Amino acid sequence: MSELLWTEKYRPKRLDEIVDQREIVERLKEFVRNKSVPHLLFCGPPGTGKTTAALCLAYELYGENWRSNVLELNASDERGISVIRERVKDFARTAPSGDVPFKMVILDEADNMTADAQQALRRMMEMYARNTRFCLIANYLSKIIDPIQSRCAIFRFSPLPKEDVLARLKYIAKCEKVVVTHDGLEAIWDVSGGDLRRAINILQAAAAIGEVVDADTVYKVAGLASPKEIREMLVLALKGDFLKARDTLRKLMIEYGMSGVDLLRLVQKEIFSEKSPLDLPPEAKVEIAELAGEIDFRLTEGADEEIQMSTFLAKLALIGKKYKVR
Amino acid sequence: MSRALPWTEKYRPKRVAEVVGNEEAKRQFLTWLRRWERGVPEKKAALLVGPPGCGKTTLVYAAANEFGYEVIEMNASDVRTAEKIKRIVGSSIRETSLFGYRGKIVLFDEVDGISTREDRGGLSAILEIIKESRVPIVLTANNPWDPKFRDLREVCEVIRFNPIPKSEAIKVLKRICEKEGIEADERALALLIERAQGDLRAAINDLQAVAQGKKRITVDDIRGLGDRSKQMDMFEILRRVFTAKTFDQARLITLNPSFDYEMYFQWIHENLPYQYKNSIEALAEAYDALSKADVYMGRIKREQEWSLLPYALELATAGVSLIPHKPPFKFVKYNFPQKILLMARTKEFRQKRDALLRELARRMHISSSKLLIEVLPYLKIIAERRRDVLEKIAHELGTTGREVLKYLLKV
Repeated sequence: MSELLWTEKYRPKRLDEIVDQREIVERLKEFVRNKSVPHLLFCGPPGTGKTTAALCLAYELYGENWRSNVLELNASDERGISVIRERVKDFARTAPSGDVPFKMVILDEADNMTADAQQALRRMMEMYARNTRFCLIANYLSKIIDPIQSRCAIFRFSPLPKEDVLARLKYIAKCEKVVVTHDGLEAIWDVSGGDLRRAINILQAAAAIGEVVDADTVYKVAGLASPKEIREMLVLALKGDFLKARDTLRKLMIEYGMSGVDLLRLVQKEIFSEKSPLDLPPEAKVEIAELAGEIDFRLTEGADEEIQMSTFLAKLALIGKKYKVR
Repeated sequence: MSRALPWTEKYRPKRVAEVVGNEEAKRQFLTWLRRWERGVPEKKAALLVGPPGCGKTTLVYAAANEFGYEVIEMNASDVRTAEKIKRIVGSSIRETSLFGYRGKIVLFDEVDGISTREDRGGLSAILEIIKESRVPIVLTANNPWDPKFRDLREVCEVIRFNPIPKSEAIKVLKRICEKEGIEADERALALLIERAQGDLRAAINDLQAVAQGKKRITVDDIRGLGDRSKQMDMFEILRRVFTAKTFDQARLITLNPSFDYEMYFQWIHENLPYQYKNSIEALAEAYDALSKADVYMGRIKREQEWSLLPYALELATAGVSLIPHKPPFKFVKYNFPQKILLMARTKEFRQKRDALLRELARRMHISSSKLLIEVLPYLKIIAERRRDVLEKIAHELGTTGREVLKYLLKV
């Protein structure tokens, strides 16, 4: 697996290989030199190297047997704080191996935890502080409760500069013997939104499609990457065939396992991107933006995502009728 | 007709003697009630048990009316949490009535409707109230053998009611017909009684339904009623919601003790597009109400704010029915919620899929939901063109992983 996907194959192993984030890297190296690490909180946009930095730090601290000293958790995938608590408890029970006096818990997507769960996490951080350090990773610092912020050294990962992203892509392309045109690189930068993971995935997918990675192949990949069912669903709804649109919605949510919020993001991308084939009048887009915002709110507040997304489709059908979408 | 008083109310007996059937139960109840005239009896509460429509509540009101008691009623519409019950009836059980009543009777109607889940502590609050009470307390229930009533049965005088015998029921229907100036075929009334299976309330309701705009009732009219199932099924509930003319008509459906609101949300969601097939406006308006109802449901589930439940249910019934662009009611065949079927049918697949996503996500240091939208789409593009890559990934994941991955990639 790690050799198959370029995001894993070219994930830096050492702190010095990390793209950009120089100040952060220097401070982390200082921790390694002293074999002393406080609780850490990495925050910043996706694809800027937060998880990579945590893994590199672990590798540099513990060397080849880092895995036995690191517990990697993702708050979005663990079922509740009690599961996390049990896993941390088990993990912290044994002493660290090697000469570093503590083990490390990497908790990714910590900002997806409720405030109550974060309070429980805070207690855990204190309870196991003797032999465990936490490295929390989040997109939004504001969604982490103050008591946790105050217990951590906070590292803000900044969006990656364009030239660094492009340099990394060129490096990977060279290693993989892929030809990338200048336009191709620009296009990847455009559709990846500065997210290096996405940029590398796009590069690899584009390289699988054509001999040469140019702007065309990149935009083709971007189009293919969004499930075709999403566009089908939107077209059906806009034309007023609500029942078929809802069937497609169910396929996406139940069979593909997409969450309502993720689905809504992809829907927005489909509708608002400049290259959208839906070609809606701007007034319709304004109404859809308002609708999407309202449904996004109701998705997080509500109980049944399918009901909320069906409401989105029903109201979209009304907008379709108003603007005579065919 | 919708504005007229239901005949079950209009002809509800005012005196005990007018209550038909269940002579033994009536005697037992009156004996228990008279004991209160000589002070507080050992059993301070009576539990009237029997099938629907056999006169339990009617007897309580008739006796109260006849002997000058004021009835304080709590029914299924109140969310019966301990706190609420105490607040509402807590004061009644000590004070004496004003305005010349002999006293008060506290009536807890349809206690079967108290769910041990939502109405946390509702039953134990009733027990406590019985213990403290200085006034008679009456409870009615359909199924006294429900284990949740065990403690209640011990402190209550249990009085059993039977279904109303046909001979008695038919007399009641005849009397109503007479007063309403309706000429009814004897066989038609017999059929009504037969269908109602001892539930006099149901028989009177059916009579009122067939008598609408008619002066003569025949056997054919009754046959046109369709089958009456004992519990209101979802088809009937949906029909009533969509045909409701007033807010109260729609809302009342939610007060039926057998109303399962979680199931209802799935049914109404499934069937909105069928009922409002030809009006996108109506569909959008109805879904907007249902969506708002679901927001309340979310808050209820997360914060245990059960006091919000009425708003959710009102929006989900009256809200989806009484809409500005409502088309005329049309008969449509309602569907069983496809989501429930789909979830059941795909259960095994979803379990495998989730296990696979978690495994892949772990290897890529990412959450499975992010993997689904950030990695899988690209992996799909790569795998479709590079079979060798797909084979290698599948190889690493073992047989079930291979199956599911191939499905997800649609190769």
